[in-house]
Amino acid sequence: METLTAAQASQTKKRPKKTKTNKRSFLKDLIQQKYLYLMSIPFVIWLFVFNYYPIWGWTMAFQNYKPARTFGEQEWVGFDNFVRLFHDDQFYLVLRNTLAMSGMGLVAGLIFPILFAVLLNEVKSMPFKRITQTISYLPHFVSWVVVAGIVTSLLSLDGIVNDILMWLHLIDEPIQIMAKEHWFWGVVTGSDIWKETGWNAIIYLAAITGIDKELYEAARVDGAGRFRQIWNITLPGIRSTIMVLFVMNIGHLLATGYEKQMLLGNDLVSDYSQVLDLYALDYGIKIAHFSYGTAISMFTSVVSILLLFTANGLFKKFAKESIM
Amino acid sequence: MKLRSTQSLSLLTLSGVLLLSACSSNNNNDEAAGNSASEAPSTSSASASADSGAMDTTPITFSFFGADASPNWNNMQDEIGKVITEKTGVTINAEYDIASGGGENKIALMAASGQYPDIIFAKGELGKLVDAGAIIDLTDLIDKYAPNLKKLIGENTNRLKYSLDDQSIYSIPTNGGVDQQYFDATGGFEVQLRVLEELGYPEIKTVQDFENVLKEYVAKHPTTDGQPTIPLLLNADDWKSMITVTNPAFIATGAPDDGEYYVDPTTYEAKLHYKRPEEREYFKWLNHMYNEGLLDKDTFVQKDDQYQAKIASGRVLGLISQEWEYGNAENALKAAGKHEYTYGHFPVTLNDQYQDHELVSAGIDFSGISITTANKDPIRTIKFLDWLASDEGQVLLNWGIEGVHYNVENGKRVIPADVLDKKVNDNSNFMKTTGIGLYTTFSMHYGDGVQDSTGNYYTTNFPDQIIASYSDAEKAALKGYNATTWKDLWPTDLPVKEWGALYNMQAPTDGDYQVIYQKTQDIIRKSIPKAILAKPEEFDKTYDQFLADLDKAGAEKMESIYTGLVKNRVKLFTGKDIQ
Amino acid sequence: MSSKAFNLTRGERVFSIANYVVLTIIVIATVYPFLNVLAISFNDSVDTVRGGIYLWPREFTLENYETIFGYKSLLTGFKISILRTVIGTVLGLLSASMLAYVLSRPDFRSSKFLSTFLALTMYFSGGMVPIYILFRDLNLLGTFAVYVLPGIVSAFNVFVIRSFMDGLPYALQESAKLDGANDFKIFYKIILPLCKPVLATIALFLAVGQWNSWFDTYLYNGNKPSLTTLQYELMKILDSTQQGSAMTNANDLANKMAQVSPESIKMAITIVVTVPILVVYPFLQRYFVGGMTLGAVKS
Repeated sequence: METLTAAQASQTKKRPKKTKTNKRSFLKDLIQQKYLYLMSIPFVIWLFVFNYYPIWGWTMAFQNYKPARTFGEQEWVGFDNFVRLFHDDQFYLVLRNTLAMSGMGLVAGLIFPILFAVLLNEVKSMPFKRITQTISYLPHFVSWVVVAGIVTSLLSLDGIVNDILMWLHLIDEPIQIMAKEHWFWGVVTGSDIWKETGWNAIIYLAAITGIDKELYEAARVDGAGRFRQIWNITLPGIRSTIMVLFVMNIGHLLATGYEKQMLLGNDLVSDYSQVLDLYALDYGIKIAHFSYGTAISMFTSVVSILLLFTANGLFKKFAKESIM
Repeated sequence: MKLRSTQSLSLLTLSGVLLLSACSSNNNNDEAAGNSASEAPSTSSASASADSGAMDTTPITFSFFGADASPNWNNMQDEIGKVITEKTGVTINAEYDIASGGGENKIALMAASGQYPDIIFAKGELGKLVDAGAIIDLTDLIDKYAPNLKKLIGENTNRLKYSLDDQSIYSIPTNGGVDQQYFDATGGFEVQLRVLEELGYPEIKTVQDFENVLKEYVAKHPTTDGQPTIPLLLNADDWKSMITVTNPAFIATGAPDDGEYYVDPTTYEAKLHYKRPEEREYFKWLNHMYNEGLLDKDTFVQKDDQYQAKIASGRVLGLISQEWEYGNAENALKAAGKHEYTYGHFPVTLNDQYQDHELVSAGIDFSGISITTANKDPIRTIKFLDWLASDEGQVLLNWGIEGVHYNVENGKRVIPADVLDKKVNDNSNFMKTTGIGLYTTFSMHYGDGVQDSTGNYYTTNFPDQIIASYSDAEKAALKGYNATTWKDLWPTDLPVKEWGALYNMQAPTDGDYQVIYQKTQDIIRKSIPKAILAKPEEFDKTYDQFLADLDKAGAEKMESIYTGLVKNRVKLFTGKDIQ
Repeated sequence: MSSKAFNLTRGERVFSIANYVVLTIIVIATVYPFLNVLAISFNDSVDTVRGGIYLWPREFTLENYETIFGYKSLLTGFKISILRTVIGTVLGLLSASMLAYVLSRPDFRSSKFLSTFLALTMYFSGGMVPIYILFRDLNLLGTFAVYVLPGIVSAFNVFVIRSFMDGLPYALQESAKLDGANDFKIFYKIILPLCKPVLATIALFLAVGQWNSWFDTYLYNGNKPSLTTLQYELMKILDSTQQGSAMTNANDLANKMAQVSPESIKMAITIVVTVPILVVYPFLQRYFVGGMTLGAVKS
């Protein structure tokens, strides 16, 4: 335990308070840390060219953009596209669905991979560990079309899930699970857990290998059981990875993609299955309303960045760490 | 703070500029080769225009983009591709769209960046390129250099024109055959052959007949091979619901296929076909079928593969679909020798007032091939396209090379048995090596059933073939109905539609039209299943709500815009004066 | 580690058994989709339509694979795919680890600016059209570079690596500095070797990303047969009707259906694209499953 707190202390100690800066000390830093600048500035330029510069495309959101015209010939319409977006009932519907599904996915995508990684870490048999880990990440490579097909048949009237429920006498007659609007979010989250847990656990496994083994030895000497070790060493050891991923994913709450929802969904549950990305596709690119599509993606970006800063701020306040 | 950021900014821009120039100097050569492949020797175009009689065969490469996938494209290394190059000097450097297809993304980028191929098959995206000024008018080119195309177009020049306001010809219609005849009917309502046989080939003309047949048979045989028999099965997985759930509503009520619309043949008023009272009756019948337990409960939940598997198990008595839609499952039945479990086709209508209009002709109205402003030698290009449309060209594209892919015996073109075997059983390899079927997009051509000057058919499909492909069970069933093909049960001699095929009409991308269309689509997709699955006494309420939702989404406005377009089209095509 | 044998309490044993049971259930549940794909890929494509193929093909055939390998363009595609995977992964690892190291240095002055500048890139994009025009102006269209250059820096990877570096004892760097090593040397000689587990993970992410991507080929290099990738060539064979909802032309749909690849071929394609990545996996896996002792490196 003492070693642990020592490790934590060394972490916080790492960031010495910066004193007030001025020009001279910056220049001095620049020279002193020239390697650090050499190692980062080329990439800053890179990002500027390939990521920041194309943002001029956002001007499309304020135009009635026509692919055929040059920039100067475009018709400017102010905030019309945004006004339309915020007045569309369907937008709020897809926003609700998106947030619900990504919120559930965020929590499940945090808990299950960590749990899986931790359990795997407790396995002493190396071959079992490697095989389990390899197999669990395979579904990641199977497309959603296939997974959706399997899920649909598992949950169909004569599927195995209904068979089990009948056998347990929990239900009297088979339920058409895929036709239940209110269960759709759960079905998506469950399928996602099934498909991605093994893949997402890899990052935590890597983080766990970074934990100093001496900490476990010391804890064992102190008489700590497996649960104590998990709780006091493993989890704190990967805390910073967990937090970084969590904060970054909060920023992605609106960007769920639409593939799994489209493939798992059907016309009966469409009020619960349509998500923002599909809406942007259907009402933007697909019908050549690029401006509207851009307005939606601008909205998504701005909200994402706000979410990111909020999450990071809270993270900083409570955990005294920050990704930025 | 301020100073720091300006410093880093200037540093950044400076290196940015360095980076840019470095990149552009590096890759200049690649660029030139990649974009416009028409690096024709300049002499070729001069000589081509000089003598229009002899074919210029100096090598030339045209870049091409096709909005449909063509997975077997073999960079003209196939047998007929080599002949084409040899005879015309032309090599096509083709790129085809993949996956979702339709060219949406690629063509939007072309229009935005001005990087066009020399020739393009743009399909529904042509409008974007026309708006961008990327497509050249072919009227004069066809007139001066393309006698074969002129012959094929015949009296139909009006139908090639872009719109009433812009009467240019921007594309040569290649996505269908001129004067195409149908030798068989493959749509309508389907009933399993074993059902027909057992019930003594009953008359199946109305939905009531159809229902009675299914009901009677399932009462006698509640199970098939130990599994419950399914009287009626539809497929509602994604866009397939259009084929088996919504399109049959107009098919069964005597309307032709005009996409989501119904066009009144006298006033040319267009409205969403769902608004027709007779279609409401059709959906009410489906609702009745569901509540009677005749329509499979999984219909709106199952995926395509589950649907196909049910058909392939042989326990589905009736379908309302098109043969190509369930063809995979039927092939599995045939492969297992279960021919009596395959299906016969019937032009079923809501009641005997209606006539099935599935086989009505829309006349020449296909998407086609266009020449862009990037093309350095349009004359050479049109001559090439014209050559492909000549009798020589068409026979080459359809039949292949004489002595290799077909022989002429007693003046008749015949495909040797070994070639036919490869064509039928290993079609994708056959296409890849021979190139037969790969070039039809480039060539305006006659359809099935049209004969050339030697009395041979242009295409390789003809009536005898259809009959030869029937199984004995199918032949027996047809005999039971005194017919030789399913088509014999269909009404014929329906007048050609004056407004052509509306799915080829470019709908406006400006303004609200597309948004309303998309909204109505969303409403249709979720309301129709709801209405069908409603309790019988709630059907009317549900359907009323559906119609109200459509109008609330702006359907009326959308319909009036569309009506205007249809009227303009009829004016353009027929020269009629319409209000 | 060797002490575990005599150290097992009853609770530990229960935990171990429960753990093995849970993990075995997970293995069974997650192995199924892949085995299912494998079984279908070896099943006769006409027979597959009948459904009901689970873990074993009903009518075994190699025809589906023969069909796929009958496409000659696959070989070029395979080469380009490998090339982009290797180059893209190396470049991506280099950039991400360097940036992560710079950010992990508490004494780096511009770290707040840099991390914010980086983080934002995860959440916006200028859109397809401006990026295409940028690539056109940089003459990247129709080049191999378009696969590896634009995506060199991934903020996600940087932050993951940094979170790992943050966990390393800082004392290591300080002692090296006292020995007179410069920052680059510290990064290269001390930090990088310690980061093997996370680098292996990021290498896997990068490699899978590079290997699986086909959309960039489609947008930028579709007209360059010599530069297309395996994934792109396979996408060509794949069915083209998945999103056919925009089409309302029944004739077209019928034509397209004739080109749709049967289910079995699709599954064989999945196997063909997945297996090369799976082969790489064991080499990377030992870094993040094997476990390494920091203590050993420290001393």
